[in-house]
Amino acid sequence: MSPNYLLKRLLMIFYTLFVVSLIVFAITQVLPADAAVMMLGEHATPEALDALRQTMGLNAPVWVQYGHWLWALLQGDFGTSLRTGQPIGPAMFSALGRSLLLAFLSIGLMLILAIPLGIIAAIRRGKVADIVVSLISYLGVALPEFVTATVAVLLLADWLKWLPPTGYVSPTEDFFGAIAHLILPVCVISVILIAHVSRMVRSELVDVLHTDYIRAARLKGMSRGTVLRRHALRNALLPTITIVALDVGYLLGGVIVVEEIFAIPGIGRELIVAIQARDLPVIQAGVLIMAATYSIVNFIADMLYAVLDKRIQYD
Amino acid sequence: MTSTPEMPVLDIKNYSLDYETANGTFHALKGINLSISRGEILGLVGESGSGKTSLAWSIMRYLSKNARETSGEILLGAKNLLTMSDAEVEAMRGQRISMVFQDPSTSLNPTLSLGTQLSEVLVRHRGLTRKQAWAEGEAMLAHVGLKTPADMMRRMPHEASGGEKQRVVIASAFACNPECIIFDEPTTALDVITSRQILDLFVELQAETGVASLYISHDLALVSRTASRVAVIRRGEIVEQGPVQDIFANPREAYTRELCAAVPNPSRRLVADGVTKTEGEPLVRVENVSVHYGRKPLLASLTGKAFTRVKGNNAVTLSVNEGEILGIVGESGSGKSTLAKAMTGLNPFEGKIWFDGRPITGLSDMDTAYRKDVQIIFQHPDASLNPRHKIGEILSRPLKLYGDGSNIAQQVGDMLEKVRLPRTHADRYPHQLSGGEKQRVAIARAFASKPRLVICDEITSALDVSVQASIVELLLDLQKAGNTAYLFITHDLNLIRQIAHRIAVMYRGDLIEIAPATEIDSPERADYTRRLIAAVPLPAGSQV
Repeated sequence: MSPNYLLKRLLMIFYTLFVVSLIVFAITQVLPADAAVMMLGEHATPEALDALRQTMGLNAPVWVQYGHWLWALLQGDFGTSLRTGQPIGPAMFSALGRSLLLAFLSIGLMLILAIPLGIIAAIRRGKVADIVVSLISYLGVALPEFVTATVAVLLLADWLKWLPPTGYVSPTEDFFGAIAHLILPVCVISVILIAHVSRMVRSELVDVLHTDYIRAARLKGMSRGTVLRRHALRNALLPTITIVALDVGYLLGGVIVVEEIFAIPGIGRELIVAIQARDLPVIQAGVLIMAATYSIVNFIADMLYAVLDKRIQYD
Repeated sequence: MTSTPEMPVLDIKNYSLDYETANGTFHALKGINLSISRGEILGLVGESGSGKTSLAWSIMRYLSKNARETSGEILLGAKNLLTMSDAEVEAMRGQRISMVFQDPSTSLNPTLSLGTQLSEVLVRHRGLTRKQAWAEGEAMLAHVGLKTPADMMRRMPHEASGGEKQRVVIASAFACNPECIIFDEPTTALDVITSRQILDLFVELQAETGVASLYISHDLALVSRTASRVAVIRRGEIVEQGPVQDIFANPREAYTRELCAAVPNPSRRLVADGVTKTEGEPLVRVENVSVHYGRKPLLASLTGKAFTRVKGNNAVTLSVNEGEILGIVGESGSGKSTLAKAMTGLNPFEGKIWFDGRPITGLSDMDTAYRKDVQIIFQHPDASLNPRHKIGEILSRPLKLYGDGSNIAQQVGDMLEKVRLPRTHADRYPHQLSGGEKQRVAIARAFASKPRLVICDEITSALDVSVQASIVELLLDLQKAGNTAYLFITHDLNLIRQIAHRIAVMYRGDLIEIAPATEIDSPERADYTRRLIAAVPLPAGSQV
């Protein structure tokens, strides 16, 4: 991996974000929402609205508005929420933090479960274990989050009363309370991810187990377990990195439903509220932050891939 | 357990193996009787599907689930391998019997260093610690002729050449001083000169250790030069076995005779010399053609940094006369196929190609007339025939494009007959044909436009020797009938010396020299040409 390549990839991230910012800005321009009306309410006088538009720069040409917005953004200023009148940056980032906590816990749980499941399915290919794992994965893919979430809440919170049904508690305030509140959403999200990743691990491992080098290792007298551990898993698990990185994209978007059901104030929920309130600066900032997170995660995944597989040389 | 001098190391007695398939039972091996003694090299020769690899798996106890061993025994010393437990088999593999595989680039794990893969055998079977095994591995790599063993141990497979990797594989096969080693086509995937070096290494190590060796190959010429005894296998049965000289000098069985006759032999020329001396312009003249691969990286072009592109061809100049067969030989990566691609417009090139007096400087000059006259046949018919088209459809395309388009079905049938396939094959799909049949279809497609130059890019290298012989015979007949010129690209020197009028030798993108086929082995040839010729084993009993 050359410094040349790193620089190129970083430039690409900035380029991507630039294009995203253009699209986001364009979309908010065509939305039937007027920031001035939003702030002053529907019964404001035309004079007051005009005055506000003047001070907010809403009468300036679109490209000037975009320039101002981008310039402020580059200085770390995401603007002010029309709804709350608070600066957007801090609110958004703490929401992102909660979403990322949910996402990484879900990915962690998923990896712990999905990789062994995939391995078992691959080794016992065509046997009962394989069929059971496949069934679980297909169920996970087929059932939408709101179904699994509702069933989980009904069963574990409503009937058995083992876990709190909804809400969010900060782990710095009440650690065990936070965990209790996170268990259900994390499980619901993981179920869907497990399906992806265990299928992926299974098919990769099946392929790897049929390669010449696995046969060669067996014929050198290595035991089945050693061959699996030392020769097969590394090669079979590498592509999982890419899948997990792509799943982060799903998590940031798809998690909205789960955040909504469990009333977790994450970035998805912030965005929904903003869209409902036509809070344009918040929508713009939220989408941009999501795009940036996604780009960075994929960048890290690519780098990790190159570190783990010496054959890959980016230039 | 250990074998006494009079007792064979490996003794296979009346061994039969079946595979249960969806279409019934397939008898892979029938009543095999073979034995190998200490210090002996037994060559096992057969075409693809003859069961030679199945036998190797049987010995290594690496059989698929649908395999049924119906009779016989395989004795290693006094122990019958068929009755061994899984644990015994695992202990036996790599320690008492080991194996060298065909392609070192697929038989080594791409994500583990060469040292790790070599030393794990020593840890497993000789009970060394990792550190001891690493040191021992280094010594072994030095022993198999690797110049920088310490460095080689640390390298990953993709950082070593094919020859170096095969040396590592050989080192791990010899690592535990096994009683028997199975060599499964160990040089097929390597270049001519490298494979000669590997073969020399094998012979040397074999003589030194006296290990009983089973050398599996489809290459009779090669086996005749290395093995002491040969067994010929066909459709799961040993047709004939005996000392090398007997088998090759006077084969008793018809199949062995056929097989021996099919082996390319430079002393048996298949074309008449001197017929292609034409006056005036050659049919095609390639003038200073260079091909470069690669694109300037973004940042290098921004900063104006110098960037060296990969050289495919370096100012190649050659010509082919009307009706001439020009052979092009060289190792992989020498630019043979690159030239073929440049001439058919598949690669951009610099320089000039004169075709029938017309200058061609790039893709835009290659009009329908040029494409009609210049056709190409590729190595793998599987990849060059569309699997979803019937043979009739495949063959009708060039007829519609270049012909008058009338009576296509009739013409397709005629073409199939010309390449000696039944007319009814027009209704079949490629997967319903054998490898040789598919290549015949590819040949028919190339000849549909009645071309004047046909470029054959390694078209027989994926085929068995007897199929190769029939394809070559077909090509020579077509050449005589249409006075077509061939540019015949191959790495098989014995074959090209049989059929080419002149031979061009390429090395790393450069054209080394062009010489008449009959003079290619003269001592006046370039240094590289002589090394190439010297590296190729001639069939036993042949003199050139």
